[in-house]
Amino acid sequence: MFEFLFKYPSSVFSKGDFVMLAPLPWWTLAVAVLAAAAFLAWHMNRNRGLLSGARPAAIWVLQTALVALVLFLLWHPAISIATLRPQQNIVAVLVDDSRSMATKDGARGTKTRLEEAVGVLNQGVIDRVGERFQVRLYRFGKAVERIGKPVELTASGGASRIGDSLKQAMAEASTLPLGAVVLLSDGADNSGGIDLETIAAIRQKRIPVHAVGFGKEKFDRDVEIDEVILPARTLADSRLNAQVTLRQNGYEKRKTRLSVREGNKVLATSEVTLKSDGAPQTETLLFNAGMAGARTFQVSVDPLDGEQNTANNALSRLVSVESVKPRVLYFDGEPQWEFKFIRRAIEEDRSLGLVTMIRMTQNKIYRQGVDKPKELEDGFPAKADELFAYQALVFGSVEASYFTTAQQELIREFANRRGGGVIFLGGRATLGDGGYLRSPLAEMLPVQIPDRKGTFHRDEASAELTPVGRESLICRLEERPEKNADRWKKMPVMADYQEVGDPKPGAVVLLETLAPGRRKLPLLAIQNYGRGRTAVFATSGSWRWQMQQPLPDKTHEMFWQQFLRWAVADTPGRVHASTPRPVLSDETSVKLRAEVRDRNFKMVPSAKVEARIIGPEGTAAVVEMNPVPDEDGVYAGEWAAEKPGSYVAEVVALQDKEETRDAIAFRREDGVAENFHTGQNRELLEKLAESTGGRYYTPAEASTLADRISYSEAGLTVRDTKDLWDMPIVFFLALLLRSGEWVLRRKWGVV
Amino acid sequence: MRNKTFIAGALALFVISASYAQRGRRSYVDEEDNPAAMPADAGEKTEYAFARLRYPSGGRRSYWGGGSWAIDYPKADRQFVQGVRRLTRLHTRSVEQVVDIDGDEIYNWPWLYAVEVGNWSLNDAQAKKLRDYFLRGGFMMTDDFHGTYEWDSFMASMSRVFPDRQVVEIDSKDPIFHVLYDLDNRVQVPGIVTFGSGVTYERDGIVPHWRGIYDDKGRVMVAICFNQDNGDAWEWADHPRYPENMASQAYRVGINYIVYSMTH
Repeated sequence: MFEFLFKYPSSVFSKGDFVMLAPLPWWTLAVAVLAAAAFLAWHMNRNRGLLSGARPAAIWVLQTALVALVLFLLWHPAISIATLRPQQNIVAVLVDDSRSMATKDGARGTKTRLEEAVGVLNQGVIDRVGERFQVRLYRFGKAVERIGKPVELTASGGASRIGDSLKQAMAEASTLPLGAVVLLSDGADNSGGIDLETIAAIRQKRIPVHAVGFGKEKFDRDVEIDEVILPARTLADSRLNAQVTLRQNGYEKRKTRLSVREGNKVLATSEVTLKSDGAPQTETLLFNAGMAGARTFQVSVDPLDGEQNTANNALSRLVSVESVKPRVLYFDGEPQWEFKFIRRAIEEDRSLGLVTMIRMTQNKIYRQGVDKPKELEDGFPAKADELFAYQALVFGSVEASYFTTAQQELIREFANRRGGGVIFLGGRATLGDGGYLRSPLAEMLPVQIPDRKGTFHRDEASAELTPVGRESLICRLEERPEKNADRWKKMPVMADYQEVGDPKPGAVVLLETLAPGRRKLPLLAIQNYGRGRTAVFATSGSWRWQMQQPLPDKTHEMFWQQFLRWAVADTPGRVHASTPRPVLSDETSVKLRAEVRDRNFKMVPSAKVEARIIGPEGTAAVVEMNPVPDEDGVYAGEWAAEKPGSYVAEVVALQDKEETRDAIAFRREDGVAENFHTGQNRELLEKLAESTGGRYYTPAEASTLADRISYSEAGLTVRDTKDLWDMPIVFFLALLLRSGEWVLRRKWGVV
Repeated sequence: MRNKTFIAGALALFVISASYAQRGRRSYVDEEDNPAAMPADAGEKTEYAFARLRYPSGGRRSYWGGGSWAIDYPKADRQFVQGVRRLTRLHTRSVEQVVDIDGDEIYNWPWLYAVEVGNWSLNDAQAKKLRDYFLRGGFMMTDDFHGTYEWDSFMASMSRVFPDRQVVEIDSKDPIFHVLYDLDNRVQVPGIVTFGSGVTYERDGIVPHWRGIYDDKGRVMVAICFNQDNGDAWEWADHPRYPENMASQAYRVGINYIVYSMTH
């Protein structure tokens, strides 16, 4: 329709420049229009005849518009646009040859996507484009390969990487006049989308990418696991919370079952009711990580009757379950029941080590859990290397002034620089009552605290779970959320509570205190602070949860174990290794990165760092990791994982004759990602076309591609001028204005 | 008639409410063995209070009429906690808390003192409750019982609390004797009955024992001071004739038992 009215495709108007070809300046047109308007007004005033009221003005408007239109055409409007020179440019046609193109959801469900694409190629694109340009045909999956004819396409590629393929095709044609790219794909990209760098490179060369999309955007009946989020590493015997995102079509309100397995062993299941079609639905599955080692957990949803694609019902994730035993230093300024019961709870956790210091008297600090008799013999650490040997700190009822200013700063740096967890408990000598507001410790608290005494109350109070707390692993006492909330409602009262203020920006409150006669107060608030995290638990009376509940009840132990595991779980060691993609989907290249620090957790720019990799079928390799420019203490390396399977990389840093290390796991999976997101990703194709100056076409529209492809600023071009005076819309507009006047005059009886 | 019924009902409600409001620290004035002045700060809310177990005793003393649970009460308690307050950082109440073995109040007091347990007589429900209390994390110090007869009487109930656990001598190297004070060398702490006689034991309880019942993690749950009378040492520490070294040891043992129970 647009092209019918305006003579040219819309891209001509969007890409071209509007010009007036008459040898007169713009302002002369404006003067002529004004003069014509004035004359018509004068004329209308003298010859209004039977017209009265606003009627002469209406006629004047229509006549002026018509004259203005004629004058506009006399000034010769046109569009100047860059056009590819015929026979001198190349058009690259890239056809997606991955397995998802074999899906039989093409035209009326009788053809595969690839068959439909081949049809588009054979029924016009190659021939018609080939009449004016040289066509280069490529197929792509993981890589790009030039082919001679569409018949060579097989839809057998294990993955599709649109961004990489575009880059490769452009690189291959870098010395040739590449005028445009035509992409035939379902948009199912396995690399997670097209990165900005690739799009920027295409834009820089001004090469328009015209995308033709194939396949249904969604299946009629399908359940897919969209994403599973699990931490890359955890402690042995930890509870893991898998956040599973599902999408479904055609099964709204149907019940199905989510499971997590390790090998054949089912670790947890949960019944879920599917939400509305196409809407993402997030569910959580709690399970135990088990013993140390690189563990692969598979999350799956039971197939439903008539499901069109069941290969996307399961997704695996690799978790490095660590055998380390992080050590927590717990300092209390006075004997408290809370101290004893926290110690007892943590003693039952084989994966946590608890070292405690308690000020019994002015002259005695009692130490428990120390490795050596001399450990902490001189009191609370005053040196970074001594304090930073722990993974988390817990402070009971101790006033800020007990610590020197340097120690206070060290505690702050423990979270900020060292990346540890710091927990502040309530007590009569801490937080507001302990003068924390006037110390460097105030900054690291997740809540505001009052600057006064009398904030600690030895009165019973209840703990209430907040909506955020319902999702937190710290507060998860039961696997099912509703049962967990119910259990918190039945929790015995705490022996005391402490007033704290509102949470700071970025902090979240997991539990609130309900005390008679007071508004709700934050009880458990947490936040990230620097590289680490901090928390306030504003009571010293949670021991009642142990003493007031039946013997088999493990609420108290579970809460404290989960709380302290939260504090230590992400505390890095002196070497912290990572990889951006722990699961390599149909790719071999694994990028390793390591941050290396000294005993004071300052970056070490001059360490010798290497990754010792072991993998399937006896694979073993040593990869040297080199310093990353402009990032002190950061080292990077790259390696090719040639075989599918699980790998462990031990990153070893040698500094001052001392070796420190960290281990990460990664996994290469082939042919799995292609089963997911198999519906046409039209959004991706549209965005790619739009951001490069191209256009998105459905298969039915693809026949117009040959005409539109010429308008490009890449390759060898010529400026073409397109007249606008003979556009049909101009004729219709003139007719409309004239007939409008006639109709009005007829209506008013003055014809 | 209806007015009378209403007034009687309101009166009954008032009496019940008043007694309930006092539940925090019930008074047993009638059962006091050695009355002591009520300190001005008796109402202070603290982390720790000396919790004296009120249990039923057979034989010479009855349960409700000033049973053996109340021996030295409340003077020993109040005099002992003065030492706890002065010598430690523990936030301690100036007056004791009497905790009845029946009811659930016991679970609010993780440290208990039980005196003259050679006379106690627990029924099955009370024995079960004490076992539950210990296994949840409670601690009890027993004191002031002497000789074979009272030991057997003590064990008659204790063996119902823990039929499957042994009573053992606490080794001098155990943390309970070092958590604050090092108490390797201990003497027999006598009761007031031996004043002037030079004898430090009662009946056939010549040799003092510091015994205990441990939990599965090796922590003392029940600290049994047998053939000794720390309660009297606390009670008469202000008496010029009570031996200073014995009073001092009684304070130190008591304090160690408290801070041990708050750290283990």
